[in-house]
Amino acid sequence: MADVINVSVNLEAFSQAISAIQALRSSVSRVFDCLKDGMRNKETLEGREKAFIAHFQDNLHSVNRDLNELERLSNLVGKPSENHPLHNSGLLSLDPVQDKTPLYSQLLQAYKWSNKLQYHAGLASGLLNQQSLKRSANQMGVSAKRRPKAQPTTLVLPPQYVDDVISRIDRMFPEMSIHLSRPNGTSAMLLVTLGKVLKVIVVMRSLFIDRTIVKGYNENVYTEDGKFFLCVKRSFDVLVFALRTDVSVLKQLVICKLDIWSKSNYQVFQKVTDHATTALLHYQLPQMPDVVVRSFMTWLRSYIKLFQAPCQRCGKFLQDGLPPTWRDFRTLEAFHDTCRQ
Amino acid sequence: MGVTCVSQMPVAEGKSVQQTVELLTRKLEMLGAEKQGTFCVDCETYHTAASTLGSQGWSAMVRSQLTATSTSQVQVILLPQPSQVAGIIGQTGKLMYVMHNSEYPLSCFALFENGPCLIADTNFDVLMVKLKGFFQSAKASKIETRGTRYQYCDFLVKVGTVTMGPSARGISVEVEYGPCVVASDCWSLLLEFLQSFLGSHTPGAPAVFGNRHDAVYGPADTMVQYMELFNKIRKQQQVPVAGIR
Repeated sequence: MADVINVSVNLEAFSQAISAIQALRSSVSRVFDCLKDGMRNKETLEGREKAFIAHFQDNLHSVNRDLNELERLSNLVGKPSENHPLHNSGLLSLDPVQDKTPLYSQLLQAYKWSNKLQYHAGLASGLLNQQSLKRSANQMGVSAKRRPKAQPTTLVLPPQYVDDVISRIDRMFPEMSIHLSRPNGTSAMLLVTLGKVLKVIVVMRSLFIDRTIVKGYNENVYTEDGKFFLCVKRSFDVLVFALRTDVSVLKQLVICKLDIWSKSNYQVFQKVTDHATTALLHYQLPQMPDVVVRSFMTWLRSYIKLFQAPCQRCGKFLQDGLPPTWRDFRTLEAFHDTCRQ
Repeated sequence: MGVTCVSQMPVAEGKSVQQTVELLTRKLEMLGAEKQGTFCVDCETYHTAASTLGSQGWSAMVRSQLTATSTSQVQVILLPQPSQVAGIIGQTGKLMYVMHNSEYPLSCFALFENGPCLIADTNFDVLMVKLKGFFQSAKASKIETRGTRYQYCDFLVKVGTVTMGPSARGISVEVEYGPCVVASDCWSLLLEFLQSFLGSHTPGAPAVFGNRHDAVYGPADTMVQYMELFNKIRKQQQVPVAGIR
């Protein structure tokens, strides 16, 4: 097979090497023949032994010679590496039974996929690095030696401090009430009720806001287990009315688990959730996280007029069936999502 | 349950009820609404029967009937105070409406014209049969509206044909805005939406919106609106047969 593309394989040396292999084979078989035949019949025992040894030595020398010749020729043949860029895994393509074990095609797909993944990851990191979203005070890339000692980290704060900050913010606005609970370890979970418009579940990490979910006033914010307790709570409400006791005391007696994962059923609140996530990334001040929480709550409070305020740009209430859901971060004006640019 | 507005769409000039409904639904579909099944709201009327028993005897009779199956709210509504009973016996019977809404398939609504609205489960119908002596069904009074439901973003629109017996008497349009529960908040928003597909036939704010300023809107308010609509249609003259060509 005349491979025109492949220049590195020396065809001459190749054919010579093949004949050298044949010569080597024959010399090796001559050695074993000599051994098998044993000593020839001669007059004296010494003569027979000497003749045998000399014959044996000759054969071994010829094997040696052929082996050296083969080594020399194999060095001249060259490596056909360009034919198989995948080296050993490329030999999988020679498997004739592709239907039962399609290893090679799967291998190729996996390779293409990982290449694409690397490409997209590179693009994404380039875009993300343009806007630094670091909300903690620790600096990356500063070696441990150069980092100033005893840097106060705002990531580890006593829970009592967090409770105090939240209760102060709770008293800031009359129409907004914040209820704090810690059902899962040390991170606080806030249930913010804004008038009769919406409810927001805020998951915190010390004083940093991690994520938010916005739901309607009449939607259920508790998990399936919590529903049972809600029924108990309702019948308690009647009892409470009769006994004139404090409802909030009973609320704490009943353990309700906040549902922090399921989205709202209404598109308008799904949109507001997206905006709230944008807001919690926008308000950043690593050294003073309580200011951040305060600004976030002030921004959130502007949603009290979600259904009443028309869009500042187009003047209408509805755009694609949605009211103006965007609140500007500085001026707190209402815009439709499509009108804000 | 979100804020709901129920209104009547007048039949277009020279067209039948069916054709007007089709026009409306086509407009809705052009807006981008998706069909999501059908709905039905019906209403039956009962007269409170004027009884020869004294007021005490009346309430005692009713109480004995109710002990088998009763909720506290039923007793409140159906056992009028003695003073009221005297007034009722003097008047011609007060009207009570028993309504069903397919949006709440397991519930039954019972309401008086300006009075309280009771939300009970469907066994209430059976209870009404037991109370035949005190609440008599008005003849040929059943009125209902049936049609299709459309979903557009967070709005739920129901366009139905109001029928009384075999004849179609009008068109009802109901729009519900799910996310909002306070009526006064979102009336302007609802109005804008109504204008987009009803055009010049957009209604004014329903009376129930004015009554409840910051209270949470409930299904009882929707049923009150339907009751008012049905009463209005009942009083209207029947559509002249000659007009339907």
